[in-house]
Parts: sequence; structure tokens; C-alpha cells
Amino acid sequence: MIAKMALAPERDPHISWAPEREQPSGVAASVRGVSKRFKKSRVLEDVSFDVAEGESLVLLGASGSGKTTILRIIAGLELPDSGRVILHGKDVTDLPARERGVGVIFQSYALFPRMTVEKNIAYGLKIRHTPWKERRETVDRLIKLVQLEQHRTKYPSQLSGGQQQRVAIARTLAYKPQVLLFDEPFGALDAQTRVHLRREIRALLRQVKVPSVFITHDQEEALELGDRIAVLNEGRLEQIGTPDDVYNHPASEFVATFLGAANLLLGVAAAGFVEIGTAKLPAEKETKRFRDGQSVKLVFRPEDVCVSQDANLPEGCRRLTNGVIEEVNFVGAYERLTVRLDLTHRKGDTDALYEVTINTPQRMTGVPIMVTRPKPEANALRYKSGDRVAIGLTSFSVLPNYTLVRQR
Amino acid sequence: MKITSIRHVRGFDVARPISIGMMLGIMLPLVLLPLLSIFVYGFGKGPGMFWSSLVAPEAVFALKLSMVTSFWATAFNVLFGLFAAYVLSRYDFWGRNAVIVTISLPTAIPTAVAGFALLLLWGKYGMIGRYFSENQQIMFTPYAIILANIFVTFPLAFGVIKPVFDTMSRSLEEASATIGATRLQTFWHVTLPSLRGAIVSGALLTFARAVGEFGSTILVSGNLAGRTQTAPLYIFAKFNEGQIEAANAIAIVLALLSFVIFSVLFFARDWLEFAQEA
Repeated sequence: MIAKMALAPERDPHISWAPEREQPSGVAASVRGVSKRFKKSRVLEDVSFDVAEGESLVLLGASGSGKTTILRIIAGLELPDSGRVILHGKDVTDLPARERGVGVIFQSYALFPRMTVEKNIAYGLKIRHTPWKERRETVDRLIKLVQLEQHRTKYPSQLSGGQQQRVAIARTLAYKPQVLLFDEPFGALDAQTRVHLRREIRALLRQVKVPSVFITHDQEEALELGDRIAVLNEGRLEQIGTPDDVYNHPASEFVATFLGAANLLLGVAAAGFVEIGTAKLPAEKETKRFRDGQSVKLVFRPEDVCVSQDANLPEGCRRLTNGVIEEVNFVGAYERLTVRLDLTHRKGDTDALYEVTINTPQRMTGVPIMVTRPKPEANALRYKSGDRVAIGLTSFSVLPNYTLVRQR
Repeated sequence: MKITSIRHVRGFDVARPISIGMMLGIMLPLVLLPLLSIFVYGFGKGPGMFWSSLVAPEAVFALKLSMVTSFWATAFNVLFGLFAAYVLSRYDFWGRNAVIVTISLPTAIPTAVAGFALLLLWGKYGMIGRYFSENQQIMFTPYAIILANIFVTFPLAFGVIKPVFDTMSRSLEEASATIGATRLQTFWHVTLPSLRGAIVSGALLTFARAVGEFGSTILVSGNLAGRTQTAPLYIFAKFNEGQIEAANAIAIVLALLSFVIFSVLFFARDWLEFAQEA
């Protein structure tokens, strides 16, 4: 059972779970140029980022992207080959885990099975030989904070996953950690509990103001939990920024496709336009950093495509080309269209650069893209397959196409 | 354990009573009747006879000696097994597998060989024993019995504890370290409680085996009644002297003891398994 938890019924401004320090520096944790190899494979390559005071940073990446290794390096459970870890201005790279004062919430929670909820929470204080009375008070406050009053004498095996996780958080808060590290905190839970719990944790973190680092492979989780998101790919940091930044202005194809769905077309930058086969998309601002004739990738999200049956596209929508509706799917919250664009490579032009995304037989008949429309719009104007439409984009990113350059 | 049948049989399944009967029929003369006969003969001449045989000074001494020597052998082997399991599951080193095999070896060695080997090492003219003066000799004393017990039960506790160590989640110990515990604190508060079940069952197994040890003990102890005669040796000696009742009384005690130990192991399995869960 998942206990309903309306968080923070009573806020006490005098109690802070953040570590006490003389001067707040603004940066709570800092990872500087960290690299790590396991045997022959390179796990991390020159990764650097900061976590601000009270901030929550999400490390997002597929499995094997090195995100767990970063977490373990910050915690002191793994040593980096090079680079430093700095916590609140102090270089802790050479300190063992127990002297770093970080709180790790393991994926399995790692609660001590032979200790009750109370004893688990008091563990950090017990080994620090905190006086009994103070220990008692801290445990009382924390149990109240995570709302486990009725469960204080239970053993971890008698608690639900969500409750266990709250015990794990309280256990780390007890010794005022420098930073909280969450290792795939919702990995072991079902979808419903997951959504519920991450809202709870978000609220809890706002209340305790302890800087935290999450690792996850779930983009939805990342967008919801992170003040900022760092996207990792094969040990490299691809982009770090606010959820809005990373989602709407992806710095690489990987970021665009990993964080949500994205359409991808190959083209060239040409005098304020992106030329894709026979189509020309006005993109003065977006192509500024490219020289004419440079090979680029046009990346746009399905929801940033506007579709119109007459030639009049709405305001702010830049016309790309025409297309034919190929498939209409209703997928719950929105409608999904597959539109085949009238993009073929230019007559007589054999340059591979002008080929569009999938260079298969489809390039002769046009390129399929994915478009989504919100329900009201879909209901107001229904499309069926075979309809011819004009296609425009409200927002897109233009990225350098290094891959193709390398292929040539 | 829930039993699911392999095959559905219409009506009465003849194979069932036949196979159960056959199984018990085989067990009866081989295991059940011998055990039963101890009790039948033991009480054959009345409980008075049984009691007086039991409280005979030599009998009491033999039982006590068995308990004490087995206790110390158990204590040593559990502590060493715990330590060896910790070392072998935490550190990789050259020859690690060879050490694991060596620890397990004593189970495969005949107990008479074990006793003989101890004599050759610690005996008056043995490799080490020769450097000891006359009154420092440990062979043919209770210490020799403890040494023999340690040797033959060496791998038992280790064998139970090691797998639990291997399967124990490392994240518990890592969590303890990040919370700020030293290695010793982590071992005491986190690792050890998870091993409780394994330690208890390892100790019971070791003790049960040590109490019954005969082959090595008879060689190293000297079998001196009232001085180095353990309970199994007492049974053997009394039987040879023709005092069947005296031997029988002790046999009953030993049989009951092992019965109790194995019942605890069997019925406490739930508790022990819970202890090993983490």
C-alpha cells in the first residue's frame, strides 16, 4: 500500500536538514574533469559539472552511460582515474566514503534488515556517538517529516517500497549530508507509485533544501525532478541545462532523441535557410553559426509541427514543405499523424548531402515524419489518410552534421 | 513444502501406498530399527538401571569431556570460519581458490588418518612435539581431543557462512560506509546481524559432528577412563568390557542430543532463513 502523503503539513523554519557551514558559497558539489576506465572500456571522459546549493540535478543517460559511476565517485565508493570531486569548497577526492558526509539513497534502498525504522534512521547518529537524547529528538523529527509515525518500530521487510525509500532518505538526513545522491530511486517501483513518489520527494527536497543529484534513464522523471538536467552519453556530458533548455534547445541529436521524440532531417545551411532536398526552411537565427553549404541536421519535435489543409499556416509557423497524411493514430492524450513529406533529392544532384533522413527506397517517395496534435485541435479538424497538407514548424534546432562529414 | 503431483490419476492411485511403503520398508532395518533398539535395550532393565548407568562417575566425566572439548572446537571453528569467509569473499589474491579447497579438505580425509597425522606432528617424537618438554606434551590430554575435533569439523561452519557472505548485497555495507561507519562498525552493526542464522546453523553442525567424533579421538586421546575418555570412546570401551547397559545409557544421551540439534536445524529453518535474507 502506498501511504497517501500530503507533504509538509507543518513547516518548521527553524529546523534545517542542510549541513551547517559558515559561508554559503553557492556551489554545493563540484565534479571537475573526472575520467574513469574499467579495464579497457572508457566509462567517463572528462566530466565536469556543479550542483548549486539547494538545487536538484538529474544525470540522465541510458544504461552504460556512466551515470552510476559518477554517483559512486561523488560518494567515494569509486576512485576516479583523474579529476577532482569538491564538496562545499573542500577537495574530497582522496577521502574515503565515510568521511565525505554524503547521503546515498540506493536503488534497493539498502535499509538494514535487522534494524527497525527508528534504528535505521538513528544509525548515522549512533556511530557518531551522538548523545541519546539528541538522537531521540532527531529521529522523532525525521519520522514526522517523512510521515512514518505509525511504522517506527517496524522492520524494513514490513514496509512498502515507497515507505522504505522514505526511511532511506530520513536515514541520510539524520546526519545532515553535504549532498544527497539518488541512485535510480524509482527503478524498483511500478509506474503509478513512481509518479506519486517523485512528487513527494520533490516536495520533501524543497522543504529540506539539501542539494541533490539524481540518476535516471527516464526522461519524464528527469524533466519533473530536475532543476537542471545533465545528459550523459557513453561517458560524456552532452548537455547540461534547465529542463526547458534541454528539451527545447537540444545541443545534440542524442539529447534531442533521448529526451522525448524527435524528427530528424538532413540538409545544408544556405543563406539564412536550411535546404532539405527540394524544400527551403527559413532559419536566419538558427543557421547563423553555420557557413553556407555546411551539412546540418534539422531536429524538431512532433508537437512543434503545424499542419494545414490550405496553404495558410498559423502565425509563427515557418513553412517547410507539403506532405500526405499516411496514418492517423489516436493515442490517448493526443493524436499522432504520420506525414510523408514531399522531399526528394534534387534532380541531377548526386551529392549525398541532399538525401534526407532515411536513405532507403523511401527517399524517392518522400520522407515520413511524426506529428502530434492536441485533442481539441484533432477534434476540430479531422484528417484522414491521403489528405494533402502543408507542413510548417514552430520551433526546431539546427545541429552540425558531423557524422556525415566523417562518412565522406 | 507444498507437493504438486506430476500426473493426474483417475480414481485410486495404487502407486502411492506402494511407493511410500517401499521407502519405509527399506529405511526400517537400515536406520529406524537400529535407533529404536538403543531405546528398547536401554530401558529394558528398567529406568533405575538406566539412571545408575548414566550417573556413574566415569560416564558423567565422559559426557562432560565431550561437551567441553566440542564446545571449544565449535567456538574456534565458527570464529575462524567467519574470519576466513570474510577474507575470502572480500579479497582476491593469488592462490585464493587453493585456500578454499584446502579449508574444505578435512571433510574428505578419514578421521583415523586425521588422528594419525596429528600424532605425527604433535606427538612426543613428532615434528613439533619433539621440541616440547615431557610435561608440556599435548597429545593424550583433553587439548589433543580439541585439536582433533577442530581438524575434522574445520570446514563445517565455514561452509555454511561463506555462501551467505557471497550472496550478501554489497550495498548494505556501502550504505553503512557512506553514512559514516568504520569497517569495524559496519561489520558489527550490519554484516554480523545478517549472518546470525548462518552462524547458528554452522555452530550446531560443528558441535553435533564434534560430539560424535571417534576415529581421530581414539588415536590422540589415549582413551584413559576418567581423564581423556569422551562419550563415544566410553561407549566403545564399555561395550568391549561387556557392560552393555553402561554403553547403552550414554548411547541414548548422544542419540537424543543429535536428534535435538537436527530438530532445531530443521524446524528453525524459517527463522534461520529469515536471518539470511539480507
